[in-house]
Amino acid sequence: MFFNKNEGWFFVIPLLIWLSLSILFPLYIAIDLSFYNVKIIGTEGKFYGFKNYIKLLNSSKFWSAFNHSLLWVLGNAIAQTFFAFLIALILNKKFSFQKIATNWIILSFIIPTVVIVVIWKLMLSSSSGIINATLINLNIIDQPIGFFSTPSSAFISLVLINSWRWSPFLALIILSGLKSINREIYDASKIDGTNVFNEFWYITFPNLKHVLFVLGLVGTLLSFNVFDIIWLITKGGPSGGTTTLPLLIYETAFTKFRLSQAAALSVITSIILLTFSILFIKLMSDKNNDEN
Amino acid sequence: MMKINYSKLLFYASISLIFIIFFFPFFWIISSSIKSPEEIISKSPTYFPLSFTIEHYYKLLITSDILKYLLNSLIVSFSSMFIAVILSLLAAYGLHKLKFYGNQLVEQSLLVTYAFPGVILLIPMYLMLSKIGLLNSYFALIIINVTFASPFAVWMLKAFFKMIPNEIEEAAYIDGASRLRILFSIILPLSAPGIASIAIFCFVISWTEYMFASILISGDDLRTLPVGLASIVGQYQIDWGFLLAGATLASLPVIILFVFVGKYFVSGLTEGAIK
Repeated sequence: MFFNKNEGWFFVIPLLIWLSLSILFPLYIAIDLSFYNVKIIGTEGKFYGFKNYIKLLNSSKFWSAFNHSLLWVLGNAIAQTFFAFLIALILNKKFSFQKIATNWIILSFIIPTVVIVVIWKLMLSSSSGIINATLINLNIIDQPIGFFSTPSSAFISLVLINSWRWSPFLALIILSGLKSINREIYDASKIDGTNVFNEFWYITFPNLKHVLFVLGLVGTLLSFNVFDIIWLITKGGPSGGTTTLPLLIYETAFTKFRLSQAAALSVITSIILLTFSILFIKLMSDKNNDEN
Repeated sequence: MMKINYSKLLFYASISLIFIIFFFPFFWIISSSIKSPEEIISKSPTYFPLSFTIEHYYKLLITSDILKYLLNSLIVSFSSMFIAVILSLLAAYGLHKLKFYGNQLVEQSLLVTYAFPGVILLIPMYLMLSKIGLLNSYFALIIINVTFASPFAVWMLKAFFKMIPNEIEEAAYIDGASRLRILFSIILPLSAPGIASIAIFCFVISWTEYMFASILISGDDLRTLPVGLASIVGQYQIDWGFLLAGATLASLPVIILFVFVGKYFVSGLTEGAIK
């Protein structure tokens, strides 16, 4: 073999150094900070031991944010899987303006999140929003819906807005997987008289394994981390109903100025996400090995 | 009598639904941005503008600092893109072409970097940057954008590198070309669509970033477009016309970029199939 087994490291090292400085080192600072009681940025604090952690694990705010995050990830996974598969399956068929549609479907992903916020705040407004007006004109409702006025309606609206942003991007990645499936398999199954549902379940789905692995992992982590859409629309409200863990961390650090507490929260959150990632990688790669 | 083809009907119904959901909102903000202020907030919205005015754009360009924000965003996004593309290109080449001992662990660790939410890094990053005096600088934002764009970019390049046969490289190697030479004169041209896709991906990630830009930059001079716009969203009395013109303008650069290189991005994502 002409490959030198260690040469590859030299090419990876620049990125690894960059990421260690921008992720690992800050992470170390956060862990260190979490054992003190620093409040406002720039002040010194006293050593606090595990007190920040104990306080957090006993606070109802932490657990409510934890539950919101769990629901957020689940809700987004369901909505995004649905829309992404729908888009990908449509774009995988042939129709007249398929090329243009494929190129531009991703529009919602390439615009700034602030613009997304502007779009949906206007469209979902209860006084002059087009969605309420259309629903009233069609006699589906008689009173405008306050999409952001109750905790649960705000939560659902935010899940849908975030899914609106990500689904087309995920759809294109699923589409890449769909295109790599040999067409002959479908033709063969058609001759055998397979229905659409079985075709999807027994041919399409298993062949997307690699794509779904990355989407399952990165997609979950990315949707967990969503901050700006929630913050800019509801600020975590009404009455804390949309405060997920990232929002709680931000609030603790930058509006309540309890830096060390926010750092402890960050560490707990990192542990949760790391555990999830490791379990996910372990489970999925074991499964892959079995099938090989 | 004509027979109704139900599966065709269902197909076109779902296409129409997807189109309305994903494209109508854009039509809506652009058409609203040229409506009169009264028409924008009227109780019965008009699907097509009845009034026409460019006052919002005029106000935006003349009285606000939007052009300064636009320039800041462009500087940050292009620099981040440049650095992220170089770093991910090198890393992807090492990971997917050279396959060293431990490459799988590195590949997985890169994806797991997404386990650290931006918010977690925000606090220590702030402390770090203020210590070394880089708070309030373009560089502060570039560091972050490169960090969040690169790991996925490395993964995206995998598919492209797989399509290049190893024999080409081996031939060049036997002819005495160095690794870097092989990368730049053989791999690079052959994976141009892949590079275009990751470049756009990195640009988009940087262009849309809001959280770090809102905390790490406190002066008005270096504000990026998303932060500038968000400060209008947060106001008690929203000037919708002004805001919609701003939103349209903030989307324009990425849309223009996409007109020219969008097809590489999309075909990069879809054709470079993961096999």
